[in-house]
Amino acid sequence: MRPRCGTDMGLIVKTSARAIIPLIGIFGAYIVAHGHLTPGGGFQGGATIAGAGILFLVAFGLNEMRKHYNKHLYSALEGLGGLVFLGAAMLGIGTAFFYNTLWHNGPIFNGKPGTLLSAGFLPIMNLAVGLKVFTGLVSALVAIAMYRRWKS
Amino acid sequence: MNGEAILPYLIIIPLFGAFSMPIVSLIGRKAREAWAVIISGATLAVASALFYSVWEDRGIIVYTLGAKSPLGQGVSFPIRIVWEVDLFGAIMVLMVALVSFLAVVYSLGYMKHDTGLDKYYTLIIVLELGMLGIAITGDLFNFYVFLEIMSIASYALVAFRNDTWEGIEAGIKYMFVGSIASSFILLGIALLYGQYGTLTMSYLAVKLAQNPTVTAKVALALFIAGLLFKSGASPVHMWLADAHPAAPSSISAMLSGLVIKVGGVYALARLLFSIYSPLAYKALRAYGYPYINMNTVGWAIIIFACLTLIIGNAMAVIQTDMKRLLAYSSVGQIGYILLGLGIGLAAYGSHTGEVALAGAIYHTFNHALMKALLFLIAGVVIHELGTRDLNELSGLAKTMPKTTFAFLIGAAAIIGMPPLNGFASKWLIYESSAIFNPILGAIAIIGTAFCTAAYVRVLYTFFGRPSERVMKAKDPEASMLWPIIILAVAIVIMGLFPWQISEKVMLPAAKALEDQLAYISAVLGGA
Repeated sequence: MRPRCGTDMGLIVKTSARAIIPLIGIFGAYIVAHGHLTPGGGFQGGATIAGAGILFLVAFGLNEMRKHYNKHLYSALEGLGGLVFLGAAMLGIGTAFFYNTLWHNGPIFNGKPGTLLSAGFLPIMNLAVGLKVFTGLVSALVAIAMYRRWKS
Repeated sequence: MNGEAILPYLIIIPLFGAFSMPIVSLIGRKAREAWAVIISGATLAVASALFYSVWEDRGIIVYTLGAKSPLGQGVSFPIRIVWEVDLFGAIMVLMVALVSFLAVVYSLGYMKHDTGLDKYYTLIIVLELGMLGIAITGDLFNFYVFLEIMSIASYALVAFRNDTWEGIEAGIKYMFVGSIASSFILLGIALLYGQYGTLTMSYLAVKLAQNPTVTAKVALALFIAGLLFKSGASPVHMWLADAHPAAPSSISAMLSGLVIKVGGVYALARLLFSIYSPLAYKALRAYGYPYINMNTVGWAIIIFACLTLIIGNAMAVIQTDMKRLLAYSSVGQIGYILLGLGIGLAAYGSHTGEVALAGAIYHTFNHALMKALLFLIAGVVIHELGTRDLNELSGLAKTMPKTTFAFLIGAAAIIGMPPLNGFASKWLIYESSAIFNPILGAIAIIGTAFCTAAYVRVLYTFFGRPSERVMKAKDPEASMLWPIIILAVAIVIMGLFPWQISEKVMLPAAKALEDQLAYISAVLGGA
């Protein structure tokens, strides 16, 4: 029997998903936060976190997702991610667009290279991109789930 | 005014507008529309100031992202992304900002009954951003990024009316063709980067002149193929005739007026003149060094141009769909622009080449105004009557006099009637092509004959006996009428001073494009 539109996938899947979703989220947050130190960054981490959202959608079904998903909130958060990115790029506009003034002059994110609080605006940009990618991907997948046209 | 200080705002303002659009949309519909107009208006203001600054100084503005100087620490070559604007780029910037602003204003009335408008306004601003980026960039990969921003926004906008099969079919077709073209261009960029190890256009030009390899020739072929795809040149124009009519008319105006020029012809001209250079070809050949024969490249472009202008204009004659006719006419006009470009390349160094290039630049700007005007009018007709079939539009002049008069101006301009702006630019192209090779001149005239036939047919319909359907129609509301009036007035005013504009703006722009040494030394500082 194929699962009907909007229904969940059963107890075993739901229980495992409940256990795994926070772990995926934490791992994604780690990738975002260490974007300037390790391979990966905002996009990859944001996509990982979005994987948690998509697992929720698949395991618990569209009806449950609808209760937790707010289109306007996600849309606004996506815009916010872009704006923070642009704002970080604007910080050093006195010298040049994208000038990394935080790294050169401080006051924060100017620690020793290789530590978490280094690299100037890069961590901020990674967080912004992570937010944008997470909200954008989840919105896209919810839209695909909602607007499917075939009958089940 | 200091052009260098305002240049980044050309990107910052639309980027800010596009990112904040979802948040502004939460306030309400009026706020969203006002925001779109404010953002595109502010961009137009910056673009005008930039154009004036470049035109006044006759210089090249170089802006480095992330530092004061593009050169790396302790090395004498550029390692950073640079933006580089000469007069040619500045003309494109002004053209893009002007037509985009008018298209946004027009959308207020035209898109009133559609849903999903927050996405629409975000995408239209992103489309503008991509084109502005292509016009100002001096870095090959940065160029590719902006090209993709522009292309993806236009794929989505073509398929915006997703309740009809037409929009979705055209959007998918456009996406496939556009992606193939983009991958050609990306492959070309990758080859050049692998061979020369730099992406800065001006430094790449130096490296290429020092060592023109086979790889560079292959990359050139890929660039030309990809960009002819993007500009809708003839053997590969089939996507254009589907995509441009299927989009909402405000978007058709931007696609036909701007996207195929900035993302196609402008980029091609920039690559051919500022990276692969006819100047280096002449010099290397004179001293017996290996060279890339730009004369042949010029002739290749001329052949494609002749094909394009005959096929495009001839196909326009037989269309019964008004927007499709305009789209084919765009193909034909791209043929003229490419013809000017090709002659400019093949006859580099002579006065003829310079005039042809000036004509091509002039016609690019003129055609942006004319085709935007015509597509906006087609949108008005669709808005009022719900059809764009020419057989049903008979006698429109009676009930929509202002619209028909504006169409008359646009059609006369695109044919090249003397008191309007199309005359001067077409004349420059005819003149130079006739001097360069009389056969090309004849072909250009034949293309115009077809073009005249196509537009006379439309006008004949408009002024014919009124059909019943047409009687209910009336001239549109103010937000749709004013962009049309502004464009028509601009066409007339530009038509009144054709040679002044050509002397003061277009010839210097052609000279700036030809002067590769200035383009290089602006970044490398004479090093």
